Amino acid sequence: MTVLNTLLQKTIRGGVGKSRFIMAGIGLGIAIILLLAAIQAYMDFRELLYGNQQNNGAEFLVINKIITNQNMAQKEALRFTPTEIEEIKKQDFLDAVEPVQSSTFKVSAQSPSATLPFYTDLFFEAVDTTFLDVKADDWKWKEDQDELPIILPNDFFDLYNFAFAPSQGLPQLSAETFMALPIEIHISGNGLSKKMMGHIVGLSDRITSVLVPKNFIVWANKHFGTEAEKKAPSRLVIKVKDPSNPALTEFLKKHQYSTNQEKTRFSKYRSIVETIVSAVGGIGFTMLFFALLVFSLFIQLTIEHAKSEIELLITLGVSPKQLRQFLLKLFFPIHIIITLLCLGIIELLQWQLSIYLTTKNMIIGTYLSWVSVLACGIVLFVVYIVLYSTIRKYIKRKI
Amino acid sequence: MPSITLHQVVPIPLSDRLEKRTSQIWNTDIVLKQGEWIKIKASSGSGKTTLVHILYKLRNDYKGNVLYGNQNIQAIPAEALASIRQKSISIIFQDLRLFPQLTAFENIQLKNILGGVMYTEKEIMLMVERLQITHIIQHKAQTLSYGEQQRVAIIRALMQPFEWLIMDEPFSHLDINNATLAAQLITEECTKRNAGFILTDLDNDTHFVYTQQLNL
Repeated sequence: MTVLNTLLQKTIRGGVGKSRFIMAGIGLGIAIILLLAAIQAYMDFRELLYGNQQNNGAEFLVINKIITNQNMAQKEALRFTPTEIEEIKKQDFLDAVEPVQSSTFKVSAQSPSATLPFYTDLFFEAVDTTFLDVKADDWKWKEDQDELPIILPNDFFDLYNFAFAPSQGLPQLSAETFMALPIEIHISGNGLSKKMMGHIVGLSDRITSVLVPKNFIVWANKHFGTEAEKKAPSRLVIKVKDPSNPALTEFLKKHQYSTNQEKTRFSKYRSIVETIVSAVGGIGFTMLFFALLVFSLFIQLTIEHAKSEIELLITLGVSPKQLRQFLLKLFFPIHIIITLLCLGIIELLQWQLSIYLTTKNMIIGTYLSWVSVLACGIVLFVVYIVLYSTIRKYIKRKI
Repeated sequence: MPSITLHQVVPIPLSDRLEKRTSQIWNTDIVLKQGEWIKIKASSGSGKTTLVHILYKLRNDYKGNVLYGNQNIQAIPAEALASIRQKSISIIFQDLRLFPQLTAFENIQLKNILGGVMYTEKEIMLMVERLQITHIIQHKAQTLSYGEQQRVAIIRALMQPFEWLIMDEPFSHLDINNATLAAQLITEECTKRNAGFILTDLDNDTHFVYTQQLNL
């Protein structure tokens, strides 16, 4: 077979000059490098963004409607209707939606101790336990239980300790002491009332509200709340795969919903990076397209140039398959070499970048992402298909 | 491929001329049986080379049918045709058709290894010696005289198994001495393969013991 190839090579001399071939090869190389660089940059950025969160993945966000001067008078307009909740549930970027259920009865709290006296009207809200960031063993309530577990926002604790307490000459408290404070809770409504002992079981960073177990709200709303006051939720907790997803911010903006800006801050950077990466990737794709076009023209030229030789070879009994294999062997290896060379260059850049970023306290992988390697494989496959079909097409014309 | 059958074959470009006269090949039914040594005598312009090209499926501009065995050659796909040209039918063209940029030896070797190696280099060189072209065997074909090219083309045609050997004026550029040497080699090779041949020429000759002589 090798002798045959040597002889075929002597008969079918390329119709393309060496320098033109090299130029096209360089073009193909640049195209592949741009394409791979775009993919790898995107993967690196993802790694930087989610590298630490990859294990627990999801994030919880509390969303509400933005109150404007126009809608502030319409109470119902600030609540989420069932249709709106259904629409939110349909979005790809979130895993789960949980309405924040509020109490529809009167609540007041007071301190039984004289050292830290206080009295306040209060409200309760509840969400499913799976949406909480506080894990506490005594976060449960049964119907005959007079002791009520409560979760307060961490912000409230900070406000008390660092703003309220110093200004009022009250003692600043550790979290343990704060949570050990006994609180007398009075609930009333529907002509009924009940006294309970509140007990803070945790402080939440996630939900800025006074939370009690969900089954308590359901029970208490039933007994103390009025039918007329059963309301749609005005806040929702959503579980999102990725709070920096631009689709999420876009969705919130479109519907005039608001959430914790801190959590969605990265979405802006991400859209910028995505734009740049797609531009580079797009240029890479276009160049790859033209490089493939040039190479298929080279094949066409070579076949046209060796037209009479190919016709004689076929006359002598060289099978179209033998010719195709020979031409593929003539053109494909250079593409494999170029692609592997590009993969090597990108790996070298990735390695250097990882060293550089380490000095900036940013960690990215030393090796290429499997996605880049896969992309490389796909590029080679596409090249093979293009070469093979071009060869097939033009050989067929010569038979 | 035991036989070659021609059924009412008339080349379209020559049809006006050929339909006016009688021929033992054109516009009639004829079966060329396996193993026959057939001489087709024809004057210039009577479609000799056209016949050779039709038989070898190089041209399709004819009326009627040509069958290899029972198969119409028009229906043979490209891959199968290549296989037939590697294993069943060999040809010596009138216009020789060597690769000009290959040496004489490479021209022979290309055919020799195409469908699996047929002869060793030593065996090839023996044939080369018999046809007295050893001295030019490493020369590029484009530098050879017609006589030398014709002998290279003859040896090339023998570099494969075949049941039929088609020869289009195979000795047109050879003197009587060289023609006799070449005819001896062809006779041996055809006998060895139990193969038939179809030879076209302008005149009568005594190079072979023909089983059939036809006028075109």
